Amino acid sequence: MSEMEKQENAAAPKPKKVRPPRQPMPEQAPEDRARNFREVPYGYTPEMAMVEASRCLDCKKPKCVEGCPVHVDIPGFIRLIQQGKFVESAQHLKEQNALPAICGRVCPQEEQCESLCIIGIKNEPVAVGRLERFVADYERNAGAVAIPELPPATGKRIAVIGAGPAGLTAAGDLVRMGHAVTVFEALQEPGGVLIYGIPEFRLPKEIVKAEVDYLRKLGVEFVMDFVVGRNASIQELLTEEGYHAVFIGSGAGLPAFLGIPGENLVGVYSANEYLTRSNLMKSYLFPKYDTPPIRRQRVAVVGGGNVAMDAARTALRLGGDVHIVYRRAKEQMPARIEEIHHAEEEGVHMKLLTNPKRIIGDDQHRVTGIECIQMELGEPDASGRRRPVPVEGSEFVIEADTVVIAIGNNPNPLIPRSMPDLAVSRWGTILVDEETMASSVPGVFAAGDIVSGAATVISAMGQARTAAATINRYVRGEDIVFPSTKNN
Amino acid sequence: MIELTINGNSVHAEEGETLLKCALRHGIEIPHLCNHPSLPPYGACRICMVEVEGMRGFPTSCTTPAASGMVVRTDTPALQELRRNILGLMMLEHPSACLLCGRRDLCDEFRPQAEKVGRTTGCHTCNNKEVCEVRSLSEELGFSELPVPPLYHHRPIERSDPFIDRDLNLCILCGRCVRVCKHQHGTSIIEFVGRSSISRIGEAFGRTLLEADCRFCGSCVDVCPTGSLADRYAKWFGKAESTAETTCLFCDEGCALSLGIQQGKVVHAQAVDPDKPLCVLGRFAVAPFMNGFDRLSVPQLRVEDSLREVSWDEALAGAGEKLLPWKGETFALVFDSALPLEDKFYLKAFTEQVMQSPHALEAVPDSKGKAKVVLPHGVKAVLSLGSFIDPAEAEGLELLILQDVYPGALIEKASVVFPAAMFTEVAGTTVDASGTARPLFAATVPPGKARSDRQIVMDLAGAMHETVLSDLEEKLAASLKATGDPVLQCIRKTVPPAAADPSLRRDWFRGRYLPGLIGGLRSLEDGSSFEEKPAPLPSDNRDPAAPPQLFQIIRKREVAPNNHEIVFYAPSVAKKAQAGQFVIVMADEKSERVPYTLCDWDAEAGTITLVVQEKGRSSRKLALMQAGECAAHIVGPLGTPLDIQNFGTVALLGGCYGIGAHIANAKALKEAGNEVLIIMEARSHYLHYYLEELAAVADELIVTTIDGSNGIKGHAIDALLRRMQSGARIDRAITVGCPFMMMVASKETKETGLPMFAALNPIMLDGTGMCGACRVTVQGETKFACVDGPFFDAHQIDWDELKDRRNAYTDAELNSLLTTEPVAHAHHAHSGGCGCGRS
Ligand SMILES: Cc1cc2nc3c(=O)[nH]c(=O)nc-3n(C[C@H](O)[C@H](O)[C@H](O)COP(=O)(O)OP(=O)(O)OC[C@H]3O[C@@H](n4cnc5c(N)ncnc54)[C@H](O)[C@@H]3O)c2cc1C
Ligand code: SF4
Ligand code: SF4
Ligand code: FES
Repeated sequence: MSEMEKQENAAAPKPKKVRPPRQPMPEQAPEDRARNFREVPYGYTPEMAMVEASRCLDCKKPKCVEGCPVHVDIPGFIRLIQQGKFVESAQHLKEQNALPAICGRVCPQEEQCESLCIIGIKNEPVAVGRLERFVADYERNAGAVAIPELPPATGKRIAVIGAGPAGLTAAGDLVRMGHAVTVFEALQEPGGVLIYGIPEFRLPKEIVKAEVDYLRKLGVEFVMDFVVGRNASIQELLTEEGYHAVFIGSGAGLPAFLGIPGENLVGVYSANEYLTRSNLMKSYLFPKYDTPPIRRQRVAVVGGGNVAMDAARTALRLGGDVHIVYRRAKEQMPARIEEIHHAEEEGVHMKLLTNPKRIIGDDQHRVTGIECIQMELGEPDASGRRRPVPVEGSEFVIEADTVVIAIGNNPNPLIPRSMPDLAVSRWGTILVDEETMASSVPGVFAAGDIVSGAATVISAMGQARTAAATINRYVRGEDIVFPSTKNN
Repeated sequence: MIELTINGNSVHAEEGETLLKCALRHGIEIPHLCNHPSLPPYGACRICMVEVEGMRGFPTSCTTPAASGMVVRTDTPALQELRRNILGLMMLEHPSACLLCGRRDLCDEFRPQAEKVGRTTGCHTCNNKEVCEVRSLSEELGFSELPVPPLYHHRPIERSDPFIDRDLNLCILCGRCVRVCKHQHGTSIIEFVGRSSISRIGEAFGRTLLEADCRFCGSCVDVCPTGSLADRYAKWFGKAESTAETTCLFCDEGCALSLGIQQGKVVHAQAVDPDKPLCVLGRFAVAPFMNGFDRLSVPQLRVEDSLREVSWDEALAGAGEKLLPWKGETFALVFDSALPLEDKFYLKAFTEQVMQSPHALEAVPDSKGKAKVVLPHGVKAVLSLGSFIDPAEAEGLELLILQDVYPGALIEKASVVFPAAMFTEVAGTTVDASGTARPLFAATVPPGKARSDRQIVMDLAGAMHETVLSDLEEKLAASLKATGDPVLQCIRKTVPPAAADPSLRRDWFRGRYLPGLIGGLRSLEDGSSFEEKPAPLPSDNRDPAAPPQLFQIIRKREVAPNNHEIVFYAPSVAKKAQAGQFVIVMADEKSERVPYTLCDWDAEAGTITLVVQEKGRSSRKLALMQAGECAAHIVGPLGTPLDIQNFGTVALLGGCYGIGAHIANAKALKEAGNEVLIIMEARSHYLHYYLEELAAVADELIVTTIDGSNGIKGHAIDALLRRMQSGARIDRAITVGCPFMMMVASKETKETGLPMFAALNPIMLDGTGMCGACRVTVQGETKFACVDGPFFDAHQIDWDELKDRRNAYTDAELNSLLTTEPVAHAHHAHSGGCGCGRS
């Protein structure tokens, strides 16, 4: 509690119950964790969870729920924690959120549920995310994850493309509705970004595996090494293969580059490549795994989002001296505050208001540095954001032997390319009716990053739930409108 | 004094000197091969023939003693011709095509480093390339032709010995190895086996070197002029960037070492004096030991219950504070006898002057180097420079500080851990077995933040605010001058050379059992062999009645040396495959994802055919698999299929794995109504494969070989250009093969206006457009080869960039070998750690 808060509390009329402070998250010290790939926070103990849960006011009209893209009954699951019913709490949570152990770790709660928490107005909000994580972990560790009774089989077959959060959520919902679900995934392991992008120290892969195992137990079939658009088109899935509906959750897997000179030099990686080598291919465990890690001395990561933080913190763990190069100011970084904070604590240097102009290499096409220009914040634009403008003549070089470009991802064009009548936006995202997630092609639904562009795990899940509900109606014979014309 | 004339110059020879020696001493070069400065003359290869007036025939200069009044000629056209012929005969049983290649210089420029492979079939994939005597000789002689097609013996590669790999398909029977072994050990465990054309070098009774009690002194590897015999660890590093001499400190013998150094790391160690071979530790254990994956490299301090990596300042301050209460007899410092004298001097000074304790204890090694220390009664705090104390005894200590090179059992008890530098990393002095002082040089860079032992105790004294050590340097200099100064007294346990008698080899270093750290030593110890998987059976050992499993190998054979044809059951790939596409394969769950071109498929049977070249770790795994086994993952078909239209006449140029790819391309183009001309290149006739299959799908098949042993001499592009010059109409060309072959084809057709497309093969990861690893620049634009390609307009490709992107990854792989390989696995064939690709 800050000094000011203390004073405020003292000045205010004494509440009946003294509310404990927000429970801090126990975590590995920065000095330790910057060198290992183990998860950074340890998680609440049951005692801490109960103290934290006791802070919740159980509002009549809970604001937090409005902030949650999938409208989790937050006061409801917290109430069960207060009563010590952790497993029940997890089960209650799972009614709306299929992957709480994951969301509790990677959701930007500070912009969602927690940002609207009433207590947050004067004090620190209830730690909804940490509690969510706690109950989900508790249930899993206690081996208490029960396989629910499934309704009688409907005889309907659904193809789910992509095993990322969107695909996994849709598969879980649909299988629980009695449908036969097959998930087609291009990579060798299910999980999408959760497995190839987000590092072990932020989301242990064991948790993703547990979620996938759970779906397998429910009867979801996983077909790995299968690229829709290559091994079968969506049309074929619907006709020859006899699926009654197709759900596309193929994500935003096309890395964006800066378009500046020198980007194909040796030592320049997309964040996707850099992270995939480490996470999916487990190169940090080389030589137990065959993919060699990229261990370098001076790493520059361009970008300011979660992906940039993940790449920077991975580079740190591989033993490098790491700079984040970001065009705007720190406040404008799209990454979660917690991630920026973690990165700084661990020793990542921030080069803010710095815009790369070109990447410099030697005669063997190897990176030696990035030439950047200093930026300053100019007049606010229409959106009220102050735009960065270059400072004339302020070019300078950051020495680097590795450059990771983490400025975002675009939708993967493979599926739209293989299906010309699927309406897509000018950015390549699939156009859907947002109420139902139905695409322009009858029987085809889409959700996640392929619809919204690179977004968040929870929004992918939220959309996938909507899509699953519509698919359920569709395969049961209800009329669903498939928006034929290109709206917006 | 003998006076004679060589090539018109009058020279002096010493009594008994051979003509060769005499000429070389006078800077007159006489080509030679079987002769080696460290070996007695032999006269087997006859390359060093000369003409001597008045003598019949062409005596070998390596065996002919110089005599007064001789008139010798070494470089007549007749001699040169003879030498070329001799080399030509020798090269008939050697993968010699690269020596005869007209584009040799261009090739060396494009790919200066040799590429890793299983079987070497030319210089460009030979570990010896950068230092090869055959290569320089062939250049010197202007060697450009073989009299008849060469022979490849298909001898199995011998990879089941520790430390040494043998590929006797490269052997030229110079006999150096046999002679050096005999010369150094009195009796050679390697011998010529068999006679004439099937004769080869081998252990006389068909056993492995290990079974034959080889001492692994490595002399044979050092003298072999070819890539036949190789140091498994150093094999693919090429010529070391630099060399440095220092002294081995694995034991008290003090052998002189010559280190090969690459980017500050030792790659290999050799004897300085070839007549004094090293023992296996000096020759083969130095590099893996110094570069071990788990070497301590950062100071650690125990905070609460766990050791935490900290800065030196923190570690030293922490240790200093903890040591303060233990000044006096309760403190002891324990160290190995195999340390530089200076270090010992400082350690003693620290113990006596800073810690005011008499207990600077030099651990006394037994004959195997094993040293344990019994702590004097009352000692409660120990600074230990190795694992000399029983963990049980350590339990009873109040304070344990470790200063060591590898983590061990004691680390659990340590409050502070200092990473120490090793003997190739520090300068200093040692005394060898004969009592002579020998220098140590800091030739390589210690890992991470490791510091020399003496630096650490000096810094520690500093952290404890002690100045007593400050004038030590002068004292040390003085005492070093006066040999035998009592401050330098060290326990000397002279050990007879272990190279001669392996039973004398020291097994312990710094209290650590070396075979426990280095796999190759372990097998020397217990005879455990490195048996590789048996060679894949030629026949199908899968139960034909059983239904195939997903990604199972249905058939497998080595279609040409190092090229394995593998037929996999992968129905969803087979169903959709189109000409020009590829798959990504993971041999097992830990493999890399490696792309392979689809050569053929059978949608009905659900099978696909790939040709896998044995190169790095992952392809080695595939190469060693057998019919019946399953790959972990195969994904595909990937990539944009080849554009198939009726173009008219299409020429398909192929080489290496591209040979197979063209079967599918030809079929599809033919079906679309094209005339299909296939031109297949290979280094030599025995490297061609699928010729019948190709002939069956083409209108015409032309073969070329670099050595001229089959078809047209030269690259595929030479045949194509010749065809075009003769007025034949070619509407389009498609080239699939290694980047060099494709680059040459593209450069040499640029002006002709012939549309040419090349299948690019950069490093890939996912193969679906997700990572961008496969970026290539085509017409100034970035393309992803896995989705936009693999085919691109050959004349618009930035070949230099492609080459460097591929090359640099090779570098990264090699370097990561040096820094990240766990020592325990460095030499073990089954560990996969040696980077030779073995699983
Ligand atoms: C490094 C990184 C860090 C992130 N951190 C956060 C965070 O902290 N919090 C947060 O909320 N969000 C974060 N995100 C964003 C979040 O991960 C994504 O919004 C989310 O994963 C999108 O889910 P998805 O299911 O739509 O797509 P993805 O997770 O991308 O999954 C798509 C799957 O489809 C597969 N696929 C694609 N095409 C095909 C095909 N043709 N056939 C078969 N399979 C196919 C892909 O291989 C992939 O497995 C991060 C993203 C990255 C890259
Ligand atoms: S030993 Fe190797 S480098 Fe030398 S000629 Fe033979 S293949 Fe070429
Ligand atoms: S193995 Fe090497 S040294 Fe031995 S005979 Fe053959 S080429 Fe000569
Ligand atoms: S291999 Fe990853 S984008 Fe091509």
